[in-house]
Amino acid sequence: MSDHKSRKSNDTKMPKAFGWMAEYADEEDLLVAARKVRDSGYTQTDAFTPFPVHGIDEALGIKPTILPFIVLCAGITGLITALLMQWWTNGVDYKYLISAKPFGITPASIPVAFELTILFSAFTSFFGMIFLNQLPRFSNPVFTNPRFDRVTDDRFFLYVNAADKYYNRESVKELLADTHPDSLDEVLDDSTPSTLPRPIVLGALLLVLAGLIPAMIVLNMRASFSNLPRWHVFFDMDFQPKKKPQQTTTIFADGRSMRPQVKGTVGRGQLTEQDPFYLGYDPSKLSADDASTTVKYVSTNANQDSASQVQASTAVQSMPAQSPPPQGAPAPTPALKLPWVDKLPESIVEASNIEANMKLGKVKFETYCSACHGYGGFGDGLVHKRADSLAQGYWTPPTSMHIERVRKQPVGQIFHTITKGQGKMASYASALNPKERWAIVLYVKALQRSRNADIEDVPVDSRSSLDNELNVEPTK
Amino acid sequence: MNRVNMATVASNYNPREIDNTADVPGRRAQLVTGNQTYSSITNMVCRVAEDPQPLLWYVLFGFSSLIAVMFLSLIGYLILNGVGIWGNMNPVFWAWPIVNFVFWVGIAHAGTLISAILFLFRQNWRTSINRASEAMTIFAVVCAGIYPGIHVGRAWLAFWLLPYPSLNLWMWPQFRSPLLWDVFAVGTYASTSLVFWYMGMIPDIATYRDRSKSPLRRMVYGLLCLGWTGSSRHWLVYEKAYTLLAALAAPLVLSVHTVVSFDFAVSQVAGWHTTIFPPYFVAGAIFSGFAMVVTLLVPSRAIYKLENLITLRHLENMNKIILATGTLVGLAYATEAYIAWYSMNQYEGFTFLNRQFGPYWWAYWTMVSCNVISPQLFWFKKLRTSLFWMVVICVFVNIGMWFERFVITVTSLSRDFLPSSWGYFRPTMYDGLMLFGSFGIFMSLYLLFCRFLPIIAMSEVKGILSIENHAAHAHDDSHGQSH
Ligand code: HEC
Repeated sequence: MSDHKSRKSNDTKMPKAFGWMAEYADEEDLLVAARKVRDSGYTQTDAFTPFPVHGIDEALGIKPTILPFIVLCAGITGLITALLMQWWTNGVDYKYLISAKPFGITPASIPVAFELTILFSAFTSFFGMIFLNQLPRFSNPVFTNPRFDRVTDDRFFLYVNAADKYYNRESVKELLADTHPDSLDEVLDDSTPSTLPRPIVLGALLLVLAGLIPAMIVLNMRASFSNLPRWHVFFDMDFQPKKKPQQTTTIFADGRSMRPQVKGTVGRGQLTEQDPFYLGYDPSKLSADDASTTVKYVSTNANQDSASQVQASTAVQSMPAQSPPPQGAPAPTPALKLPWVDKLPESIVEASNIEANMKLGKVKFETYCSACHGYGGFGDGLVHKRADSLAQGYWTPPTSMHIERVRKQPVGQIFHTITKGQGKMASYASALNPKERWAIVLYVKALQRSRNADIEDVPVDSRSSLDNELNVEPTK
Repeated sequence: MNRVNMATVASNYNPREIDNTADVPGRRAQLVTGNQTYSSITNMVCRVAEDPQPLLWYVLFGFSSLIAVMFLSLIGYLILNGVGIWGNMNPVFWAWPIVNFVFWVGIAHAGTLISAILFLFRQNWRTSINRASEAMTIFAVVCAGIYPGIHVGRAWLAFWLLPYPSLNLWMWPQFRSPLLWDVFAVGTYASTSLVFWYMGMIPDIATYRDRSKSPLRRMVYGLLCLGWTGSSRHWLVYEKAYTLLAALAAPLVLSVHTVVSFDFAVSQVAGWHTTIFPPYFVAGAIFSGFAMVVTLLVPSRAIYKLENLITLRHLENMNKIILATGTLVGLAYATEAYIAWYSMNQYEGFTFLNRQFGPYWWAYWTMVSCNVISPQLFWFKKLRTSLFWMVVICVFVNIGMWFERFVITVTSLSRDFLPSSWGYFRPTMYDGLMLFGSFGIFMSLYLLFCRFLPIIAMSEVKGILSIENHAAHAHDDSHGQSH
C-alpha cells in the first residue's frame, strides 16, 4: 500500500525497512503490547496471529467492517434478480400455461427466489472478504522474517508500519522492546520478485488462449453459412435404425417393409370400409362384379363417364325442380353401378324400432334435407326458392325425390348419396351417423311412396272417405 | 523449530485414560485432550499430509480410484447406449438414479449443518470435525449431482437445466416445476458449501504453506491460501464473512432437502403428496449425514492418530444427534401411517399398506429396522461410546436411509391409481454397479483430501483452546480469590 513512501525515505543501497515486528509466545502478551502501542498513538499497526485472538480489534483499535451491508445489498439484488427472471422468462418472454395458474410472481417463485438470495449473499460474503482484505497478495514484506513462518502455527506478532505518521525507527523499537517480545526484527524489503514467475504467467496465458479456441470455432460456425450437411456430435434422434413405409427390406421374403394384413383380422376403422351398413353397397361383391366400376368409383373424374356426368349436371342447371326434364336433354347423372344394398338394414326396420326410426328419419330429414329438397321432397326447399328467385345461372336445383329415377334407386344408393354427396350436393356424413342416415332413407322411401301412392295402398275401409275428401284420383 | 516429534504425540495419546464423555455438573469437559498446545495441534494435523501416507492409504486409494474409474466408464457406456441400460421401465421411471441422488444429497447435509448451525449455536465441539464433514459434503454433492445429470437421458444437454433460452426454441426453463427448484437449490448448496469449505481452509492452508520444505509445495499452498498472513485486520473481516456464511448456510441447508422433498410432495402420487415431507426429509438427511461422518471419522482418526482432537466426546455427541434424528424419522413414519388412516383417502391407505405388505415389504422393513430400531441402541452409553458399535450402527443407518428413498420412490410409482398399469421394478447390473461406483468417487476424493488438505480446522481448534485455557485461568483465579 504505502510501501513506496518508505522506500523513498531510505537509503537506496540499504534494503528498505517497512516497520518493526515483535514476536510473542502468548496471546495475552500480544494483547498487552497491542494496547500499549495503540495508547502511544500508532494507527498503522497490525497483529498477526494463528487464530483470531479475542479482543485484538479493540486492543489495536480496528474498526468494524462494512461487509454485512455489502452482503445485505447482494442478498436484495439476488432476490430481485430471481423474481424478475421468473416473471420475465415464464410470464412475458415465453408464456407457460401450467394448469391455468397465473403468470408472474406466484408462491411457486419462492424457492428459486430464496436460493438466489442465499447464493448472491454467500458469494458476496466470500468475495467481499477477499476484496476488503486485498487478497490475494502473494508478495508481502512481512514474509522476509524467517520466524514469521510460525505465525500460522503458535506465534503472535505485533507490527508497526513505517507508514505511520508518528513513526520513528528508534522510538518504535524502544516501545516494542519494552513489551518483552521473544524477538524483535525490522521488516526489510522483500527481495523476492513481486510478480508471478514468468513460466507460470506464460503457461496460464497459453491455457486461456487454448481454452478460447473451441468457443471461437463454435461462434464462427454460428455466424457463417455452409452447404455441407449438419455435423452431428450427438445423433439425438436424427438417425434411427428403423424401416419407413415403402422401403425395402431383406427381413421378409417379399422384400417389402410394409406388411400385408393378417388374414381374419379387422384393422382399426376398417369396419367402416367393409360393412355394407356403413357404405350402402356390398364391397365383397364389388371386386367380383366389375373391375372397371371399381376404377370409376375410386377416381370418378378420370374417365369419360364422369365427363358426361359433368355435362349432364350442367344441362340440368337452372331447370325448375318440378318441371319435367326438357326434351332431348342428355340423360341425367348416370347412376353409379355399385352392388347396392336393396334392403334396409335389419336394425332399422325391425318391428320394435321402425316407428322410432321413422320419427328419427323425419326429424333429421327436416333438419338437414328440407332446406333444399323441401318438406315434401319435391326439391322446392327455401334455399332453392331463394336461389331460384335470384336467377343465378350456376344454381343446380336439388333433385326431386319423386322423379322416376330417384324413386327407382335402391336404398343403398340413397344412403350413399347422403354419405358421399352427389354431384353438387355435399356429403352429410359428418353431420349424420350411419343409423341416422339409414333412418332418413327409410323416411325418404316413405315420402316417395306417399306421393306416388296407388288406391291399392289405402286400406279398403278408408277408401270411401278418401274419395269424399279429395274428389280426385290419387296420382300415379 | 519447536516441533513435537512423533514420540511425544504418541505418548500424549492414550484414549483409555481420558474419558471426556463424562459430564461433571458445573464444569465443562475438555474438548481436546492430551494437554495440547497450539504447536502440538499444528503438528498433529499437519503430520497427516506431511508424513508419508500409511500403506493402508495406498491400498484404499488404489481400490476406490479403480471403482471410480469403473463408474466413469459406466457413465460413458450409459451416454453411448442410453438410459435403457438401467432397470427404469414403465411405470417406475424414477428408479435408482433418483434414489441415489436423494441418498447422496441427504448425506451432504451433515457437513454444512455441523459447520453452520452448530457454529451459530456456539457448539464449540464442532471445530474438530467440521472440516472433514464439510469436505464430505462437497464430495457427496458431487456424487449426487452426477445422477440427475445422467438421468436426463441426453446428458450433453444437461445445461438446459440452467436458465438459458434453449437452442432454436428460445424457450426458458419452467420455473413452476419443483425439478427446476432442485437445480437452484442443489446448485446453490454445492457452490455455497464449496466456498464455505474453501474459506474455512484458507488459514490452515497457510499453515501448510509455512511448514512446506519444497518450494513447489510452498508455491502451490501459497497460491491456494491467497497469501494469507494471519493479520488481525484480515481476521476481523474473515470472521465476519464466516459468520455471515454460516448464517446463510443454515437456512440453506434446511431448504435443500425441503426442495428435494418437493420433487415428490408437489406431485399427486399417493405416498408422495404429503405436507410432512420437508421436515421429514430434512431430519432424514441430517440423520444419514451424521451417520456417514461417524463412519468416516472413526477410521480416519485411528489411521492418522487424531484421537486427541476428534475425541470420543465428539463422536458421542454425533451419536446423540443420530439418535435424536433417527427418532424423528421414526416419528415421521408413524405420522405417515396415522395420516394414511385418518385421511380416509383410499389411495393413501392403500399405498401405506402396499409399502408394508406389498411386493416391496422387504424394503420397507429393512428401512424400519435400520432407521428406527438400530439408532435406538444409542440410548446405551456403552454402545454410544464404543467405536465398533457406532460404526456398525451408522452403516446400518445409511443402508436404511438408502432403502427409505427406495421405498418412497419405487413403491409409490410401481402401484399408482390405475391397477392396470402396475408393475414391479427390477434393477439391472448397471444400477448396482453405478451405485457402488459412486462410493468410489466419494472415497477417492476423501482420500485425496486427507492427503493434501488440512482435515481439521487447526485455527478454529486453537481458538477454542485459547478460550478454554483462559476460562480455566479465570476459574483458577476466582477460585484463588474466594479462598
Ligand atoms: C344444400 C342443398 C341440399 C341439401 C341440404 C340436400 N340436398 Fe340432396 N341434392 C341437392 C342438389 C343440388 C342435388 C342435385 C345434385 C346433382 O345432381 O348435382 C341433390 C340430389 C339429391 C338426390 C339425388 C341424387 C341422384 O342420384 O341424383 C338425393 C337422393 C338427395 N339429394 C337426398 C338428399 C337428402 C336425403 C338430404 C338430407 C340429408 C339432402 N339431399 C340434402 C341439394 C341438397
